[in-house]
Amino acid sequence: MASKYYDIDDILTEEEFAPVLFHKPANRVTIDPSAETNYVEQGAKVELPFWLAHELHLRQAVSINLPACFDQKTRLEIQADAACVDLRSRCPYFYEFGCKLQPLVTDRTLGILLSTAFKIRYKERLTKVFTATHLTASKFLPFLTIEETSLYEAAHLSMTAFKKWRTGGPRFQRASILGRKRKES
Amino acid sequence: MAGQTDPHVSLFSPEEVEFMAEDELVEIVPNMNMEPLNFIAGDFGRFIPQIPIQVPLWLAVALKRRGKCTFRPPGWLSVDNLTQVLEAEREPQSKFQALPFSYVEIARLLFDHARDDIPDMYMVRSLVEDIRDVRLHKLENNLGTFLGTSAVKMENVSAMEVNLVRPFARRALEAFYKHDKPEVVADRNTRSSRQPREANDEPRRPLRQR
Amino acid sequence: MYGRKGYQLVKDFASGEKGQLKPFNSKLFDETIEECRQNQRLIQSLMRKMEQEGLDVQNNRNADYYGALVHHLSLIRNKRCLMAYVHNRADIVRDLGWRVGLELLELPPEIQEKLTTLEKEYFKNHSAAIKSYMGKAGIDLNVDMVPPKDPYIKVRVVGDIDEGIVMSDKTTNFARHSMHFLKRTDAEPYIARGQMEELTG
Repeated sequence: MASKYYDIDDILTEEEFAPVLFHKPANRVTIDPSAETNYVEQGAKVELPFWLAHELHLRQAVSINLPACFDQKTRLEIQADAACVDLRSRCPYFYEFGCKLQPLVTDRTLGILLSTAFKIRYKERLTKVFTATHLTASKFLPFLTIEETSLYEAAHLSMTAFKKWRTGGPRFQRASILGRKRKES
Repeated sequence: MAGQTDPHVSLFSPEEVEFMAEDELVEIVPNMNMEPLNFIAGDFGRFIPQIPIQVPLWLAVALKRRGKCTFRPPGWLSVDNLTQVLEAEREPQSKFQALPFSYVEIARLLFDHARDDIPDMYMVRSLVEDIRDVRLHKLENNLGTFLGTSAVKMENVSAMEVNLVRPFARRALEAFYKHDKPEVVADRNTRSSRQPREANDEPRRPLRQR
Repeated sequence: MYGRKGYQLVKDFASGEKGQLKPFNSKLFDETIEECRQNQRLIQSLMRKMEQEGLDVQNNRNADYYGALVHHLSLIRNKRCLMAYVHNRADIVRDLGWRVGLELLELPPEIQEKLTTLEKEYFKNHSAAIKSYMGKAGIDLNVDMVPPKDPYIKVRVVGDIDEGIVMSDKTTNFARHSMHFLKRTDAEPYIARGQMEELTG
């Protein structure tokens, strides 16, 4: 697998915030712009983006707690009917963020939560893509995480390409890289 | 790699799958005399009127379009055989029936270019379409049985069918892999977030039957 | 919060259609670099403070140390965002060469406008490398991107094409909406650029 250093989705995943507890103080650091000082006290509880929380955690400067998107309410909803939960509004990178957090938090059930949710949603939602109409799919599309959406799109696009081939027609087309066609002037 | 099509979507475009199928041999009956043709793939000919001969599909189509031959449709492309296949495909819990690896593409090219050479052409075409649809549903059900990164075995799936589900199945397996072993992935990401690295120094994890 | 501008820059890239270019966001790009400079200034002042106080950083990690660390990490983060932005755009710039054409001036003007001077330079150099390779290998690698069928295809002109373009076997006046029967390999680049469309049936 290629390096993720330049991976846009990976960068965006690491921008998700997690609550942390500072074990060390930090000088000339402004986490909260409304704060009066630029000094973070030992014992301060703040929210940091994952990329910062993670590196500080590796140096024992903070401990990380579970963010709200993995709270008890979400878990109960997933247990009740995983296929219908709007994960995207909770966190567009629900699984990726969860996987990154898992080794850093004390909660041992996170991994199981993620894989159960994915397995159920995969079976209920994603594998029906090839024969379902786009209209049926559009109802649940807004609930899908980014990764689930790309899975859906992978199937949808290869199905579209196949249907186009089956129908016949022009083989050569304007390069898709140019974007949609300009309006005729 | 797919050319004008989106490279992120699929390894091959349907047009490319069709291109590969055009190397399959089919039987034609020429109506002209022609010296043998010497290609990289082999020699074909010589061509003698009324003497059946095997040639690659692309050549057969080219000759047919110029009125130089008629097709002898392959045995599986008959109403009798296809009716049997369709019935078998519809059996509950049935496996995929054995059809040529490129049946979708071959059928399409023959329907496009040799309709007058196929007996009961409309019946045959509708049977092929029904078979394809039944198999697509089956394929979808099969994808639904993925539960982890165990090896998946599907027999007799054709070239076009495999190509259709390949991008989806690959991503799905990657996702399952991630959830089977989240620590490994998380660990790898932390290392790679600092510096771009040469790919894959990851110990390979054997695929495990679940 | 730190690393904010870099995030916005990457977000800007991600908000475009997949595989297509948006105009280079030099405002956010420069702001990200400015954010890095601020981080750097704070790191330096904290380092000086620690040096002046003769702090033994190995054994005594104080608030100044962790403050500098936060700024260091933020700087690294912004750097990653900048690199990813340039890197991912470069991928698309190379794609343009393969999918549309190797001559910069043949790219549609609205695409050219989206490139910076450096990206244009990169495009030219990349194209030159491909052309030199194809010349030495003696093969055009950027035609027949769709498996070929017929050597000639029917096309209709839909864009503006300069008059008197010499095709490999004839010269024609390509007035808009006119139809032609052309060699596939001649027509392909015009179709890719959206100046002609293939007619079938």
